[in-house]
Amino acid sequence: MKLGSWAVRTGKKLLALLFSLLALATAVFYISRLAPGDPLVAYYGQRAERLTPDQRAQAEERLGLNDPIWVQYARWWENALQGDFGISYKYKMDAAEVIASRAGNTLVLGGAGFALIFVLAPLLGALCAWREGGPLDRVLCRLGAAVSCIPEFWLSLVAILVFSAALGWLPSSGAYSVGGGGLGDRIAHLILPLGVVVAGHLWYYAYMVRSRVLEEARADYVLLAKAKGLGRGRVLLRHCLRCALPSYLSLMAVSVPHILGGTYVVEMVFSYPGLGTLAYESARYQDYNLLMLLCILSGGVVMCSGMAAQWISGRLDPRVRARDGEGAEP
Amino acid sequence: MPELLEVKNLSVSFFTPAGEVQAVRNVSFSLKAGEVLALVGESGCGKSALCRSIMKLLPGTARIKSGSILANGADITHYGERDMKKLRGRLFAMVLQDPMTALNPTMTVGAQIAEAVRVHRPRISRAALRDRTAELMELVGIDRPRERMERYPHQFSGGMRQRAVLAAALAGDPAILFADEPTTALDVTVQAQILDLFRDLQRRLGTAAVFVTHDLGVVARVADRVAVMYAGKIVETGTVEEVFYDPRHPYTWGLLRALPALAGGRDSLYAIPGMPPTLVNPPKGDAFACRNEYALAIDYEEEPPMFPVTDTHSAATWLLDPRAPKIAPPAGGGAVGR
Repeated sequence: MKLGSWAVRTGKKLLALLFSLLALATAVFYISRLAPGDPLVAYYGQRAERLTPDQRAQAEERLGLNDPIWVQYARWWENALQGDFGISYKYKMDAAEVIASRAGNTLVLGGAGFALIFVLAPLLGALCAWREGGPLDRVLCRLGAAVSCIPEFWLSLVAILVFSAALGWLPSSGAYSVGGGGLGDRIAHLILPLGVVVAGHLWYYAYMVRSRVLEEARADYVLLAKAKGLGRGRVLLRHCLRCALPSYLSLMAVSVPHILGGTYVVEMVFSYPGLGTLAYESARYQDYNLLMLLCILSGGVVMCSGMAAQWISGRLDPRVRARDGEGAEP
Repeated sequence: MPELLEVKNLSVSFFTPAGEVQAVRNVSFSLKAGEVLALVGESGCGKSALCRSIMKLLPGTARIKSGSILANGADITHYGERDMKKLRGRLFAMVLQDPMTALNPTMTVGAQIAEAVRVHRPRISRAALRDRTAELMELVGIDRPRERMERYPHQFSGGMRQRAVLAAALAGDPAILFADEPTTALDVTVQAQILDLFRDLQRRLGTAAVFVTHDLGVVARVADRVAVMYAGKIVETGTVEEVFYDPRHPYTWGLLRALPALAGGRDSLYAIPGMPPTLVNPPKGDAFACRNEYALAIDYEEEPPMFPVTDTHSAATWLLDPRAPKIAPPAGGGAVGR
C-alpha cells in the first residue's frame, strides 16, 4: 500500500467528517432557535415570567439573542473556533465545563453497558446457534424478541417498580446517595440502569451473531471441518464464530450510538446525572449553547464509530486486506 | 478378507416442505481396503447424499430410513454424533468439489491442516505439529510448505487449494477417502495433475476411496470399480473394464455414447433424451424407463432386480432377464476400443 494513496483516502474521510459535522451544527442551531420556547426561563427560572419588557430586552441583548439567527450563528462559530462554546443558561457555567462534569457518569454507564453487550452477545448468540432449534434456543429467541420490543423507558419503570418500590433492593434514581457514598453505593446505583441498557440491546446483537454463525455453518468448509473429526461445538467456535467476527466487530462499532441513545433514555428515567439527562434538559429549556455542544459531541461519536466500523472490517478480513495490495500467488 | 466398508440396502430421505425426497434408494455396495470405487451419475442422482450419509454429515432434515452401514465389520448405522466424531478423519475423510469454499477464508492454510492433525493427536507439541503439517503439505505436492502454511486460502490457486484440502483429509491417515467431485471445479490441466496425485497417493498410502464424479474420463483414470447411479439407485456395477467394455444397462450405454471422445467425429454429441425424474415421487417400475429407447413393458410396472453378469458385474435392467429380447448395444455404447 502506498503512503500517498493512504493519505488521500484518509484526507477524504476527514473532509467528509468535517462536512457532516458542519451540516449537523447548522441544522441543530437553526432548529433549536426556531423551536418555540423561552431561553430566558432557563436563565432566570420562574423569575423570567415577572420580568418587565425592558428587563427582557436587556437580558436578550446581553445573551445576544435578539440578533438575526445567522448573525448569532456566525458569532457562535467565531467563538467556538477559539474554544469558547458559550455558557449554559441554566448552570451559568461554560457549557464545556458542565458537560465535562457529567460525561464521566455517562461513560461509566454507557461504557459498562457496551462492554457487557460486547462480551455477552457472541456468547449468547453462539449458544443459541449451537443449540439451534432446541428448547433452549427457542426460549432464548422468543424471550429476546419480547424484551427487545419493550421500550427502554417502560422497562426502566418496571425495573424501578419491582426492584426499588416493591422489593426495596436497589435505589431508584441518581448515581450516588445524597452526601456521597463509596464504591458499593455507586455500583448499587448503577445496577438497574445498566441492567436495562444491556437487556434492551443485548438480544438484537446476540441474534445477529446467531444468524451469522448459522449462515457460516452452512458453508462447505464447515462440512469439511466436521469430516476432519472436529466436534460441532469446536467447529462453531473455531470456524463459524471466527468468520462471523469481522462483521460482528463492525456491527458493534456502529452500535455505539445505538447504545448511547439507549443510555440517554435510561438516564432520564433514573434521573442519572449524565449527558442524557443534560441533553433532555437543555432541549427542554432552550439551553442553546449546551444543546449545541452535546449534539456535536454525540454526532461526532456516531460518525467516528461508523468510520471505525469500516476500518475494522477492512483490517480483520484477510480477503479485504488482500485487495489493498498483497498479491495472490499462483 | 473382510470388507472395509459394506453398505446394505441403504435408503436415505430428505424431509422437506415439498415432501419426502428419496435421495438414496436401496443402495448396496462394498469396498475393500485400498480399492477405488467410482460413483458415476448425473447431478442430483444421490451420489453426494450417499457419501455424506455414510459419514453422517447430512443436514437435520435427512434421515437413514432403512439399511445398514458396516465399517470393518462393525455396524455404524445408528452411531450417534459422539461415536461418529471418533471415526471421522480416521476411518474416513472427505474432499469436496469446490476448493474455494472448502477452506475457511479467515484461517491460514497451515492452521486448517494442523487442526486436522491435532484432532487425532491432541497432545502433540507445537514443533511436531508444524513438522507434521509441513510433511502433509509436501506429501500432496505443495513445495516450500513452511512458508506457505502461513498463507490464506485466497492466496492459493484452485489446484493448490485442492491439494491443501487433500492434505487435511489425509492428516488422520484415513482408511477410506470420499472424494466428492474433487476435480470438477478445476481447470482441465490442473484436473489431470490432481487426478495423478490422487491415484499416486492412494496407491502409496493404500487408502481406499469412493470417487464421486460425472466424468467418465476421470473414472477410467482413477477407479478399479464403477457403480453407475441413477435416480438414487445403483443401476450397474462392475470393474472399470466390464462397465466400459461390456456395459449392460441402457443408461450406461447412454452415458458412454455421450462421451465426446467416443462420438467418432460425428457433428453433434449424443444426449440421453428427457430429464432425470424428481425424487420426491419416484416413478413406478424402472425410473429410467421413460428415457430408455429399449424399455420393455415390464419396465413401467416393476423395478428390475440386480441381474448378475459375472461375479463382479451386475446391472438392474430387465434386458438381462432370460425372457427378454436380445438387444445389441448401440455403437459407442459398449464398443469402446473394440
